[in-house]
Amino acid sequence: MSLDVSVLVGAEQVLDIAGDVWSSLAGPEEVLVPLPASPAHLPLDALSAWVLVLGPWSGAVVVTTGASTALELTRALLRAADDEELTAEDVTDALGEVANVVGGNVKSLLTAPSVLGLPQVGHGMEAPTGEVVVQLDLSWRGQPLCLSLRSTAPTGVRGPRTPPTDPEGQP
Amino acid sequence: MKILVADDSRVMRQIVIRTLRQAGYDGHDVVEAQDGREALEKVAAEAPDLVLSDWNMPEMTGIECLRALRAAGSQVPFGFVTSEGSDDMRATAASAGALFLIAKPFTPEAFDAVLAPVLG
Repeated sequence: MSLDVSVLVGAEQVLDIAGDVWSSLAGPEEVLVPLPASPAHLPLDALSAWVLVLGPWSGAVVVTTGASTALELTRALLRAADDEELTAEDVTDALGEVANVVGGNVKSLLTAPSVLGLPQVGHGMEAPTGEVVVQLDLSWRGQPLCLSLRSTAPTGVRGPRTPPTDPEGQP
Repeated sequence: MKILVADDSRVMRQIVIRTLRQAGYDGHDVVEAQDGREALEKVAAEAPDLVLSDWNMPEMTGIECLRALRAAGSQVPFGFVTSEGSDDMRATAASAGALFLIAKPFTPEAFDAVLAPVLG
């Protein structure tokens, strides 16, 4: 049995979910602004966080942004001061949790029972590929950030989250 | 009172603790656990008055932790704070003995609505 996810989940719904996540977790004044032109130009050091959804529809919810924006997002989530030192593990944790919350809410829109994987984080190119169902090119605090929903072949649910292995990608 | 916050994300544990404070529950002791198994151990060791647990965690999930607690005879008040708030999950949580399920993202008001009857 397969599920036409595009009927159940559209760009507007994902944007609503992401907006709620940002205002709740990053702060009530934090907004995501859709970019007029796509695709967003992400820096080479971009990080991706994703969660897999497995069920009649299998896919991934992916959040991708530059390493410095991921660090800034982590600071916002933790309400950390500008001079507070954060670790690569903090950034992995924060970006993964953002993907997890967006993914959990996307999963709730599906009509059939599914399983949500644990969040995974890697460099931008490491995210699962597949048919793009929803692609949102956004700006947060003037920096590009992409959110996508991709159909994937079932590969099993992996976890837990681990930081990227390339030290150049760490903050 | 003592509150046990279980989540595999340290960032989310901090957000939950901050939201507890924003909801007006800042006078309580907070104990943290990073998965269901550690939560199970800390319920025995710390005797919390309330457990706030994520659902999807490595080692032992939140629902497995709750079922293990009830099977062992513990009646500690238990609520979920999780990214999935479907009707199915709420029903599963309730049937296992959870008092409530708060879906992420959440607000201090959502915390207060479910915690007031438990923490007063």
